[in-house]
Amino acid sequence: MGKQRDVHATGAKAGKRGHVASLPIARGLIGIVLATGALSALSLYRETLGFPIAYLALLTTMLFWVTQATSWNVLSGYSGYFSFGQAAYVGVGAYTTAVLFGRHHVNFYATALIAAGLCAVLALGMGMLAFRLRSLRGEIFALLTLAVPFILAALARINGAIDGGQGIIVPLPPFPPALGRFQDFLYLINLVVAGLAVAVAFLMAHTRSGWALASIRDAEDVAEALGVATFRHKLLALVVSAVIGGVGGSIFALQIGFVTVDSVFTLTVPLFVIVMSVLGGRTHWFGPVIGAVLVVLLQDRLTALDLTGWQLVVLGAVLILMVLIAPEGIYVRVRALFPRRRGKATEAVGPDIPESTVDSDAALVECDGLTRHFGGVHAVQNLTLWIRQGELVGLVGPNGSGKTTLVSMLAGSLRPTRGSIRIAGRDTTGLPPHRIAHAGVARTYQIPRPFASMTVRDNVAMAVMFGREPRSLGAARRIAERHLVMVGLAHLAGAYPSALNLHQRQLLEIARALATAPQLLLLDEALAGLNPAEIDNAVEVIRRVHASGITIVIVEHLLRVVKALATRVIVLDRGTCLADGDPGTVLSDPAVVQAYLGKRAHA
Amino acid sequence: MKHWLPVLVAVTAIALAGCEAKSGSDSGAAPAPSTEPIVVGSTLSLSGAFAATGAIHKIVGEQFVDRLNAKGGLLGRQVKWIVRDDESDQAKVSTLYEQLISQDKVDLIIGPYATPNILSAMAVAQRHGFTLPQHTSVLAPLMKYECQFPGWSIGPEPNKFVPNQLFDAVASLPAPPAKVAIVTNQNGSTDFVSYGSEPDKTGAVSIAKQRGLTVVAEIRYPPTTTDWAPIATQIRDAKPDLVVNNGLGVDPVNLLQAMAQLGYKPPLMFSLFPAPGPPLGLGAASDGMLSVTIFEPNKSTLDKLGGDASDVVTEFKTRAGNAKLPYTVFETQAAASWTAWEILAAAVKGSNGLDQKGLCDQLHKSGADTTFNGHLTFDPKVNNFWPPTQAIKQIQNKDWVTVWPSDRAAAQLKRPAA
Amino acid sequence: MSTLQAALAGVLLGGLYALMAAGVSVTWGVLRIINLAHFGLILVSAYLTFQLASSWGWDPILTLVITVPAMFVLGGVLQWGYDRVGISELNSLLASFGLLIMCVQLVSNVWSADFRRMSAAVNPYATASVPLGRLIFPVTTLLASGIAVVLIAGAQFALRRTFTGRALRAFAEDRTIASAFGIDHRRLGVLLGALSGATAAVSGMLFALANALTPATAFEWFGTVFAVVILGGVGHLTGTLAAGLLVGVLSGVVSVLLSPAAAPFVLFSAIVLALLLRPQGLFARRAVR
Repeated sequence: MGKQRDVHATGAKAGKRGHVASLPIARGLIGIVLATGALSALSLYRETLGFPIAYLALLTTMLFWVTQATSWNVLSGYSGYFSFGQAAYVGVGAYTTAVLFGRHHVNFYATALIAAGLCAVLALGMGMLAFRLRSLRGEIFALLTLAVPFILAALARINGAIDGGQGIIVPLPPFPPALGRFQDFLYLINLVVAGLAVAVAFLMAHTRSGWALASIRDAEDVAEALGVATFRHKLLALVVSAVIGGVGGSIFALQIGFVTVDSVFTLTVPLFVIVMSVLGGRTHWFGPVIGAVLVVLLQDRLTALDLTGWQLVVLGAVLILMVLIAPEGIYVRVRALFPRRRGKATEAVGPDIPESTVDSDAALVECDGLTRHFGGVHAVQNLTLWIRQGELVGLVGPNGSGKTTLVSMLAGSLRPTRGSIRIAGRDTTGLPPHRIAHAGVARTYQIPRPFASMTVRDNVAMAVMFGREPRSLGAARRIAERHLVMVGLAHLAGAYPSALNLHQRQLLEIARALATAPQLLLLDEALAGLNPAEIDNAVEVIRRVHASGITIVIVEHLLRVVKALATRVIVLDRGTCLADGDPGTVLSDPAVVQAYLGKRAHA
Repeated sequence: MKHWLPVLVAVTAIALAGCEAKSGSDSGAAPAPSTEPIVVGSTLSLSGAFAATGAIHKIVGEQFVDRLNAKGGLLGRQVKWIVRDDESDQAKVSTLYEQLISQDKVDLIIGPYATPNILSAMAVAQRHGFTLPQHTSVLAPLMKYECQFPGWSIGPEPNKFVPNQLFDAVASLPAPPAKVAIVTNQNGSTDFVSYGSEPDKTGAVSIAKQRGLTVVAEIRYPPTTTDWAPIATQIRDAKPDLVVNNGLGVDPVNLLQAMAQLGYKPPLMFSLFPAPGPPLGLGAASDGMLSVTIFEPNKSTLDKLGGDASDVVTEFKTRAGNAKLPYTVFETQAAASWTAWEILAAAVKGSNGLDQKGLCDQLHKSGADTTFNGHLTFDPKVNNFWPPTQAIKQIQNKDWVTVWPSDRAAAQLKRPAA
Repeated sequence: MSTLQAALAGVLLGGLYALMAAGVSVTWGVLRIINLAHFGLILVSAYLTFQLASSWGWDPILTLVITVPAMFVLGGVLQWGYDRVGISELNSLLASFGLLIMCVQLVSNVWSADFRRMSAAVNPYATASVPLGRLIFPVTTLLASGIAVVLIAGAQFALRRTFTGRALRAFAEDRTIASAFGIDHRRLGVLLGALSGATAAVSGMLFALANALTPATAFEWFGTVFAVVILGGVGHLTGTLAAGLLVGVLSGVVSVLLSPAAAPFVLFSAIVLALLLRPQGLFARRAVR
């Protein structure tokens, strides 16, 4: 497990292993390096090219915003956790340089590195606190990040060793005279930082990190249940974002030459990076670049036109217009104008059903004294049960009897109040859901929750990539095809979930769960809302899955389905086990009929 | 990819190493033919946090340039002023000055408004060797560029001059104050006057103590303060004879109002850099308030200065009214701006050219004649901050009048009615 | 004594924060529109109050006769527009930011960027206060908190007791189901937008009573108002009121006990702590959303 986690954490490494995935990455990186090189020529050969130095000043501003918007996007665009705290990084970066370099004459480059370190520590602290919250919602994260710059600004004002209120002059750092003027130096150093930032954002988008963050954006707890270590990926994104922002802030101190609390800890920074990223397209690495260039260019043109009194009116109008024309961001809009050639269809693979190797006597699930309270409500009460490998258990009971609570505890999305759970002999009580997924437990949801931004194939491939044995995207896509064949969705592999009907979405849920290579599959009302023909098809699929050797627990209200499928039925009532045995016996037990059917009949 | 990246890095490195040698100075801006106008470039905060005062500077600049051109311009050429909106954003100030100098190839520059912006502009001016007259930064120790010339001076040590002048003035009252409350906005210049700055930490607080006054309250507030009641209560409960508010903009108005709501009015109130209009609208609450000035258009002062000064003041009133400014009096901010423009014009006339070094040397050598501050001399050893002409003004009968020092006073310093 | 008085002043000022936040909170919580233009409406109302009082000599409070209907219509039109283009939550942030900067520029064009303030002659409220024992209640903030309490309590009552209110709550819970029950979300949305516009008019008047106006003021409200919105629970009106008062008290007390500069430090640290302990929002048992 430990080894697997290492591979898991270093997403980039894992991404490179698959050759199919790494080719575009190499091309992209080369592209970014070439673009950076070409842009550097504007300064290095400025006089030969006759490039006016004033444009370098404009480009420098652009690059500053490219860096900041990219920094924001790496966390907030990719993962959907909106941050209003971008000014914190700019401020910490600028003050690190201002205090250490401006006041104490520490080497400038060292201060940029220290700024990166301080921002990383700040982000780690914020992330450790915020992302540990189980019920963290987007707004709460937004407010937490909004508060941080206010706190830091006040700290800088109170503390004379940082500022105390008068601001700090930042002199020119020594730079190679061959570079030309200070403006050349400022431009080049901004270019290098922006280039690195964009390269990092590109890498993240094209490796496991990017997929993990996209799945977090679409449906975080589903991602976690499929085996994505969401906490680690969010934390990583937050730290990367902070480091980029901090280094950008550090060189910003050189650009303004005089650092005050109000000039760096300002709300303009978060507002602008959000505007730029969302305008450009926040789900894509290149979106913030487009947004930053566009907004800065627009502002510059408006200033130069000298539209006294109308500048902000025009800027505001353009913003609104852009939102109307390109609600998903300019990148997506432009991309839609030039349809990309479709990648060659993956060759069809026949269903590859592994031989059933079931040791039917071994206990796969052992629950001991399992209890869960919600406030005063005892949803599950002192439940002890065990499930052998190869069983197909029907879990029934009236509404509120604790079925879904039990499923959630088995999958790890709820912690038991008391008691323990062992899966295949390992104690999984209290482990985070992704670890439980890796231990071999997969679940589906009553209401299907696909990753809306990914194709059906990639929905399944996600689960393969982040499964017990991490795979590259290419390999994962090939394996995904197999699971889609298993549930009969292969013909829709390239479609997006929004195009699927309810039945197809539920099949997709099953395929995605299968992709985690589970030993135990928890189906939570996977047949709810289907018509009879669809139910028959679903029953067929579940049989096929069971035949492949996977143990299944199915929560279902339709007793005919339970009778048809289950090898064993467990009846829950008010959180305790009312009956347990083979379907025929249990479902004709008078106590069960009384408690379950009786109630339903009167309900 | 493994093979490509190092190659690219190497290529980039070679490109870096082989970059062309550049000359250090501006690639020769050819002197324009003499029929073309002389172009002056600057930015002002026409929107954002500093815009309230930026608006005054814009009107003064336009008025000055129009008057100058009416009298034949400079060096026989008309003068054109390009002013861009820096949106009160330091980063924009740097970029815009860079553009004005290298892209618009302006002949002359003049400063923006507000200390942080001026410092950012000064850095650009210094890099290009441009001479920079600037309107309002009085933070003498920070203004280290030798070709920076202030239009408003409180001397090289405002942190000593301002408190001493104020305490001298109030000491002349029949019952001089013994207890002071010092209330400071944590903003560059105001904080500097209260507390000095490394290495010289002398300021209003230490000077008050040194002069035997009791500091009964010492409060520092951030420029973003919106809740004034806590500060007002603290001042009220400290029972000072004099409140020294080293603040900006509408700070004193907010303070006086919050104190008035508590049914309290300090016996004497001083504020360092207030927006001049709003306190006058406060009625009885602001009567007797003190502040600093380099110029007030009081009748006796104008009589002394003569016709030109009166014309300027009158014309400003019209222009400010047309621009819908609420307070149209030509006072300290406007006078500082006017002085900065006169310094620029004097440098061009005196050096009879547009060479930046020449302009700078000319000012160091001969100084400049100004309408509102007389003849100014500039000594680079004290960062060109000329001996202060600053005075103390007071609100009397709903108007600002100069009351100290006595040789420049238009009225007697009074203790306001309680 | 200072502390007690500052705490009182803080509570009263907190009413104004809550009133400004209420409009933002409701449109965000119920309609999923993060409406930054709300600050623009407040700004314009404040200037209108200033103008009507200064040039026609109206009592500033009386100006509500003009500003409330005007902002009611504007707020409704805005919401109608958002709905018309089917804007997403995020894009509403962008578009309304665009609207806000347009407002700021227009205000600046009409009234200049210089400080505007009603003179003591037309605004007797600025320095007035009501003493009660040794405590003093400033009229401006007393009005603000009184109006905030009345409006928010009224809105809460309406949400619980009227059909429209229940429809709104149903709509916030689940749009599709609410629509299935025949709730016309468009009309409800426009009504809600209009009502929050009306609160903007009142907030603007109250702000103008006690403060000098500049166009850039609009941006200074962001931090505190958003803190109040989220701390109270998005879409949760009584929570918003409680959060506003809490923020006011805390900043008042810290200003006296430590220093005004420390106020934001303590305030926002407390907010962070509160959120970590009660991530659902400090006062939200269950937010409307």
